[in-house]
Amino acid sequence: MASGLPKRIIKETERLVAEPVPGIHAVPHEDNLRYFDVSIHGPAQSPYEGGIFRLELFLPEDYPMTPPKIRFLTKIYHPNIDRLGRICLDVLKGNWSPALQIRTILLSIQALLGAPNPDDPLANDVAQRWKEDEKAAIATAREWTRTHAMT
Amino acid sequence: MAGSSPMIMSSTSVSASSLDLRALTYLTPVDENLCCPICRSLLIDPQTTKCRHTFCSNCIAGALEISPTCPVDRNPLERGDVSAAPIMISNLVNDLVVLCPNTPLGCTATRARSLIEGHLKDECGFVTVDCPGCEDKILRRDLREECMHTEDHESICPQLTSSCQHCSSEFPRSEISSHELTCDEAIMVCDACSVGCPWSGRRREATAHVLSCAFTYLRPLLHEHASRIAALELENKSLKKRIDILMPTRRDSERSENSSGLLDEQTIQILTEQEHIRSDLERLFAAVADMDMKQSLLTIHMSENMRTREEITMIGAAVNNLRSQLLGLQLLTLRQQSGAGSPSSGSSGTSTRAAVGSILPVRRMNEAIPGNDRVKL
Repeated sequence: MASGLPKRIIKETERLVAEPVPGIHAVPHEDNLRYFDVSIHGPAQSPYEGGIFRLELFLPEDYPMTPPKIRFLTKIYHPNIDRLGRICLDVLKGNWSPALQIRTILLSIQALLGAPNPDDPLANDVAQRWKEDEKAAIATAREWTRTHAMT
Repeated sequence: MAGSSPMIMSSTSVSASSLDLRALTYLTPVDENLCCPICRSLLIDPQTTKCRHTFCSNCIAGALEISPTCPVDRNPLERGDVSAAPIMISNLVNDLVVLCPNTPLGCTATRARSLIEGHLKDECGFVTVDCPGCEDKILRRDLREECMHTEDHESICPQLTSSCQHCSSEFPRSEISSHELTCDEAIMVCDACSVGCPWSGRRREATAHVLSCAFTYLRPLLHEHASRIAALELENKSLKKRIDILMPTRRDSERSENSSGLLDEQTIQILTEQEHIRSDLERLFAAVADMDMKQSLLTIHMSENMRTREEITMIGAAVNNLRSQLLGLQLLTLRQQSGAGSPSSGSSGTSTRAAVGSILPVRRMNEAIPGNDRVKL
């Protein structure tokens, strides 16, 4: 497995460990260096502040030509993240570029937590509530952060 | 990082065909500006787009197959929009000095990156090549120009034949050791040499020898004896250890001198001493018994003594009583003698009676303890 790992993945992993992004941790599995355990701290001044959200990240065989596969493992109330933890983010799909990296993608996800976009929803019910009663939706997001991301 | 070390430290030999330019180690620190945005390694065959971004030729080709945009700025991009980068960029990356990828095997060569492929192809002694004599892989430095074989390799190459030193027939080297185990001409010793058979000869004569060898028949018996002796020695050893623990003084005497004379002398000395001690002990026992008897006698005397003392006190009290009564009587008699008429007879009558009553028990006590002179006082 390790011998078949492209040099780029090795370099990225080394840099993630040597110069970690503040508020983001990504550690590869010992038995599968393409699979990462990720945790992202909720951004300040967002309903997710104080929470630590766990994600899984997998680098497919043709990475970096195709984007990494990322999913939230911690439950989160967000218009662009559905019940299964799937994320609606352009750079994870059509707007992926091989010049992007694990660290830039994780930064994009952290930014998405700070700026929910209910006009491009993945979780329809959440997005609708967000548009109808943003205050209540943010309160729910805070509540979910307390119960699921602070233990 | 865990993933990188096995790649760098891998001890498999790298040849010109298995060379991975992205896995090379550079002598100088890597300049990020000369790295491909896609593979993050120093550019290899750099290509520049019409939007003036530079990539490795393989990387940009792969990216354009997936999406017709520039990976850096997402501008629309097609194959025709990509051409060779300025020669200056190519020279910058090609002239960087790298370590030979066979450094872990011992190669000390360093070359400009553009020359490293040639080094592996023609020079590097740590590239594996085919042995012309067999299917083995050997390192290039082990090849010789004249015979294309190294002596080292020749001595181990299993395909070469060599002759049996006993029967002088030829065998492939890999089979020679198994042949020697069965060669009729090989010199061997009798199976019973372990129990003393001095015979040695060719293997083909061994069968005849075994039929006449007395040692062979005795061998099982001797083996049994040997194993029994071993068991006994073992037991003896453990017993000796226990004796040593029980008699530490004996260990000292054994260590200093093993001669039986000295041992006997010491034993006799110890025995006489023991005898002395025993008689002393007996005497002491008798003395103790004597003392015990004396002590019990003393105890009896003492208790008698105590009883006597008690009685003396009681008698003393009685004597005092008597004395006061006597004094009273004397006074009474004096008064009667000196008095003219008759004083009150009633009072004297009672006192006389009391005196008579108090004398009586004293007499009884005197009878109970004969031979006590003090009572008379």
